Amino acid sequence: MKIKISSILKTAAFLCATLACVFVATIVLRSKDSNYKYKDFFEKADQIDVLFMGSSHVINALNPAVLYEKYGITSYNMGGHGSIMQSTYWELLEALQYCNPKCVVVDTYMLQKDYKYLDEMDESYSDDDRASSISQLHLNLDCWPLNKLKIAIVKDLIQDPEIQKQFLADFYVYHNRWEELGSNDYKALFGNEDRNNLFGAEMRYGIELAPGIYPPPADKDGLGGHTVGEEYLRKIIDECQRRGIDIYVTFLTCSASTDDKRAIDSAQIICDQYGVPFVNMQEMGVVDLYTDLNDTGHMNALGSIKATECIGKMIAESGDLPDHRGDAAYSDWENSAESFRRGIYDMEVGSDSIYQQLDYLTQNDVSMILYINDGSQAFGDNQMQRLIHNFTLTPKIYHTDGPYILINDVASGQIYEAGGSEMLDHVSTSMGTLHYEPVEHLFRFLYAEEDPDTNYLYDDSKVDYDIQIITYDNETGEVLSHSYYKSYGSNYTKG
Amino acid sequence: MQFVSFGFLLLLPVAALINFIIPRKLRYIWLLVISAAFYISIDVKAAAVMAGTVVVTYVAALLIEKFSEGSDKQRTKSAALIFALAVIIETAAMLIFRSGKILGAIGISFYMLKSIGYLADVYRGDEKAEHNPLMLALFVSFFPQIISGPIERAGNMLPQFSYPVTVDFDRMRDGFLQILWGYFLKLVIADRLAIFVGSVYQAPENCPGTVVAIATVLYSFEIYCDFAGYSSIAIGVAKILGIDVMKNFDSPYMAESVAEFWRRWHISLSTWLRDYIYIPLGGNRKGTFRKYLNIIIVFVVSGIWHGSALTFLVWGLLHALYQVFGYITLPLRDKIVEVLRIDRNGLSHKTIKTLITFFFVNLAWIFFRASSLEQAFVIIKKSFEFTPWIFTDKSMINYGLSAANINVGMIGIILLIVMDILNYNDVEIREKIIRQSIWYRWIIMIGAILAILIFGIWGAGYDASSFIYQQF
Repeated sequence: MKIKISSILKTAAFLCATLACVFVATIVLRSKDSNYKYKDFFEKADQIDVLFMGSSHVINALNPAVLYEKYGITSYNMGGHGSIMQSTYWELLEALQYCNPKCVVVDTYMLQKDYKYLDEMDESYSDDDRASSISQLHLNLDCWPLNKLKIAIVKDLIQDPEIQKQFLADFYVYHNRWEELGSNDYKALFGNEDRNNLFGAEMRYGIELAPGIYPPPADKDGLGGHTVGEEYLRKIIDECQRRGIDIYVTFLTCSASTDDKRAIDSAQIICDQYGVPFVNMQEMGVVDLYTDLNDTGHMNALGSIKATECIGKMIAESGDLPDHRGDAAYSDWENSAESFRRGIYDMEVGSDSIYQQLDYLTQNDVSMILYINDGSQAFGDNQMQRLIHNFTLTPKIYHTDGPYILINDVASGQIYEAGGSEMLDHVSTSMGTLHYEPVEHLFRFLYAEEDPDTNYLYDDSKVDYDIQIITYDNETGEVLSHSYYKSYGSNYTKG
Repeated sequence: MQFVSFGFLLLLPVAALINFIIPRKLRYIWLLVISAAFYISIDVKAAAVMAGTVVVTYVAALLIEKFSEGSDKQRTKSAALIFALAVIIETAAMLIFRSGKILGAIGISFYMLKSIGYLADVYRGDEKAEHNPLMLALFVSFFPQIISGPIERAGNMLPQFSYPVTVDFDRMRDGFLQILWGYFLKLVIADRLAIFVGSVYQAPENCPGTVVAIATVLYSFEIYCDFAGYSSIAIGVAKILGIDVMKNFDSPYMAESVAEFWRRWHISLSTWLRDYIYIPLGGNRKGTFRKYLNIIIVFVVSGIWHGSALTFLVWGLLHALYQVFGYITLPLRDKIVEVLRIDRNGLSHKTIKTLITFFFVNLAWIFFRASSLEQAFVIIKKSFEFTPWIFTDKSMINYGLSAANINVGMIGIILLIVMDILNYNDVEIREKIIRQSIWYRWIIMIGAILAILIFGIWGAGYDASSFIYQQF
């Protein structure tokens, strides 16, 4: 039996060509979610000083761009959607293979979860919950290369060997993505696919107008210390202490249920045992439940700014972490911070939702004039009144039927308001010296004494709109946007 | 371990490589080892039933041979008795164990027919009894065929096991291409169509009529691609191991009559039924009535072999009746063709015959697929409700397949039809591909591999044990 050398070579070449093609197909077909989130982590691993660990609460609440802007501290948000404590623990171990952070912030939302395997959970969960849990784990795990640690992780988190396969060889699950391929999937071939420009964080921009308020638990005993979540929180603390990494345990503000509050008590007990700081933001009043949540569970961008600044202050005050601002090597962090600020600025200048716009205008990147005509249903809308009250801190908005005007002139730091037949005269703003006078239901004056021909609050084509928001530049007074809204109960349509 | 598993894809190259390296005389032992390992990996308990079958077949064949020697009438009677006893034991074992409730029974209907066929050959003196028990064990358990055939004959297999042919590069390529085609049929077409068909057949009464009709047509392609896919993989694997296995499908839906369909569909079973039931019953030698009766008996046996449900029996009977009706009406049809001066060899006439044959075969498949006779009748009734708006109101995508997946399925079916037309016209596609330059060859092969990997229904959530004929 003779084997020709050329046959062996041809077979080898064929195998190589086939493997190369399959490899290319794998790159194109694989879900880009995990790479999108962690691409910068791998590229900036040697610059990262702080890791934020936890679930989607962390993803939405702790913003590395804000931390850098405010304190010059570099960080990465490693939070995973639906990450329970064991997922967070393993995520930390993976991350520590690549970087040496000086500080880890770990959130304890879902500490009360007491099941080991994500594909099993417990009887209170539906099959959809399990499928969702497995799907979310892909975000955490897909980016890590296959090695002993990853195999250990998959075995620890997933019980079913069939499901384990999809984490060990992701082509097993992603080969059928062919019908959803987009340009970004092909960009991955050249390494220039989209990436998260907030270093792992994701901002949400909605407002939860009716967060639930739940009673505290009857005792302060927490969960009893034996849940799987608690076990893994201890492991996380152990790991950090063993490696000499500072750790902050948090509970980030949300519409916390009684069970969540019991988990908070447990986290406090564990932190006390280990002598590590526990930042219970729920009790600190840093984040406003009525303006800073996107939904009952997650903060919006405003909440994230407040929460990140709060944590950042603690970390910065520890004095161990360098301020990298101004260092050219860290320009990407600078750019990210600027980009995030631009996003907030855009939300202030124009947003599809009046709630959103008013909420973001509290950032004071631009000045604002708000006018609400008499008879508007906004005067019966408690959420709207609360948002306006955030500017004025006076009770006027609660006691007027309109018309109502609010001028927030950031440059001068002055806030002016008038209700009913009240007038505003000689109001000095960046736009000029303003004069406001309600005349009749469909007509009112607002003009600058320097330009009396321009009545800002009247437009023939917009007489049906009962609410107007004018934004103007803090320095130049240039009008940036003029939005009209119509109220229908607590629904508002933009014109 | 299944054909559609990573385990099998790892086993195959190792098995082929070792088979390639070891001396020719010892190859059958190696093939027996991996056949046993393959079968045990699927079901250990079933291996006990198979071992028992091997022992019964081996001993019975030796005894039949022993008692058949010489012209002593008593000896011949003894041989017949042993043959009958062995056949009864194996048939009974097949019927008892095939439910899988007592012991595992994977592939039992296939290897039992192989064994019975072998015993019949020995009894008739067509084959000598195999004295090497390992060789016989390999014949019964040869792993590419064990799950769903083809149901081979000892006369073809045993000499090859004794002296397998040299596996050269062309043979490897040929086998490899055949395997690829098998995986394409199974994973890209059959399993994709199965999603749609399964969804419709779950509650046909709630589906628009035309959707049910389409599902029924798609089932014809599903079962073809599923079974022909398996057979193609089995034949390709055997080829790589130096063993030639008989063809099991030969463009069956190109047949111009139901009788021709059965010469092209599941050929190994059809020929087995012909050789071991139809001809021994007298075939067409004992008059017209006996011929029709024999056809009915053969197809009743075929129906029962497929399963104990009444639906399989009706399916078999329908095929028998199609053929009896075809023979009875042959003079009339010939007269019509003559009077209308229809060109028998014209494309239109052939196409009409093919379509009519497909219609009848398709109608019978309804009983094969339906969970009960009642459901089969509901499907037939529903299929005649005309609801063409399903093509424009996007309701087609409500049955488990997205529009893109339906398109892939359709492209697959078109490719299958083209290949079958070429095959029907004696164009050997694989041969043509192998004769191409290396670049074309590689492009075709790598393209096929990628198509199977990307468009195949496999991976998370896929049931690897779902070859339709595996249940029989």
